[in-house]
Amino acid sequence: MAVVKGLLWFVFLYVVPMFIVSSLSEFAPEIFSSYGNLLLVFVAIILFFVVASELTSGTIFQHAFNIGKALILMIFIVVALEGGIVALDFQGFHLVADLRIYLAMLLTIDLVGLAKSVLQAINFLSEKAESQLPTPSPR
Amino acid sequence: MRQAIRALGWAIYILWLVIIVFTVTAVYSAFQLGLEFGEEPQVSTSGGTVTLTLPFSVENNGFYDINDLNVTTILQESNGALVSNSSTVLPLISSGNKVNATHNISISLENMTSASLSRLLFYDTDLDMDMSLALRYAGVIPFKISTNIKNFTRWGAPLYNLTIGNPYFADSRVVVPTSFENHSFFNLTGTMRLELVNNLNQQVGAGVTEINAPSQSVYSTSVGVTVSDPRNIREARLYFDTSVFSYGPVVMPIG
Repeated sequence: MAVVKGLLWFVFLYVVPMFIVSSLSEFAPEIFSSYGNLLLVFVAIILFFVVASELTSGTIFQHAFNIGKALILMIFIVVALEGGIVALDFQGFHLVADLRIYLAMLLTIDLVGLAKSVLQAINFLSEKAESQLPTPSPR
Repeated sequence: MRQAIRALGWAIYILWLVIIVFTVTAVYSAFQLGLEFGEEPQVSTSGGTVTLTLPFSVENNGFYDINDLNVTTILQESNGALVSNSSTVLPLISSGNKVNATHNISISLENMTSASLSRLLFYDTDLDMDMSLALRYAGVIPFKISTNIKNFTRWGAPLYNLTIGNPYFADSRVVVPTSFENHSFFNLTGTMRLELVNNLNQQVGAGVTEINAPSQSVYSTSVGVTVSDPRNIREARLYFDTSVFSYGPVVMPIG
């Protein structure tokens, strides 16, 4: 199941976006060619945590990996977008794009994902604790 | 708790959908933006300012509006001395619209009488241009593209090779031959006042002559000066008062 999920995520997150990036690189190679490496790192992070989460399914470690994935993705997004200020040089032109609002939107989604993983972990622990409580016998 | 987790899950899916749709449409729209500059810039002179008029058009075929589009051009000498700084702002270019505008690059010749730029009155030089285009896309993404063009245009000095010849005596006056080359793209009309100064730093006489030097021409004239004492004349001081600038004194030694 872990392998199947990993392969599906690989196709969805790497093959399809890489095709798009390659197409865009034909128009502006100086801009889009460098994003291939970033995409590779992003896919590697996702795949690792997806497979690890699937392998530890049913345990608290699954939720720990989900929390770790959310935290590492937040750091990766900040690094990939260079803090929100993206500067590029191509064909004698200097481009600067202020993507801080865009970065904030992405971080917000990750924070919501982090909150969901934390709630899932708390829910898992509480359900496990409830299952270990002795069942009161009817009189 | 399960409902909260489920709600957060749905929120994440919806937010990702919005982000992906916005990203795809924004990138597509960015490629639909067209910027064109018109034909050769037109040059006009008014008062003490020379203006280069650059017509341009911006066509926005994308999905989002463009706000606060700012075209800025900075002309400077190769040593970094600022010659001109001009900006044109278009507040709004709505989606699906095309806007025609003109960008005026103004060069104030009066500013050239300051110490840092007075050389431009007497020496030809190449001017570099820094050009930048800044805008706010979809209301949330500020974007700026800039470039530097070396030797964008050649500046011709209006008083290039200003020279005074050997003064001679005629009709009880000292006649001072004067010449210069007008390499600029504007005609130079006005007056030139010439003062003669002796070794004691005293003005011994002055004369005024009309100047009318068309663009790209060599101009020469002679200024007759009635002097109180023609002995020991050390230098000439020239003052220019033209339709585009006033400058002086230009001190030129005699002999």
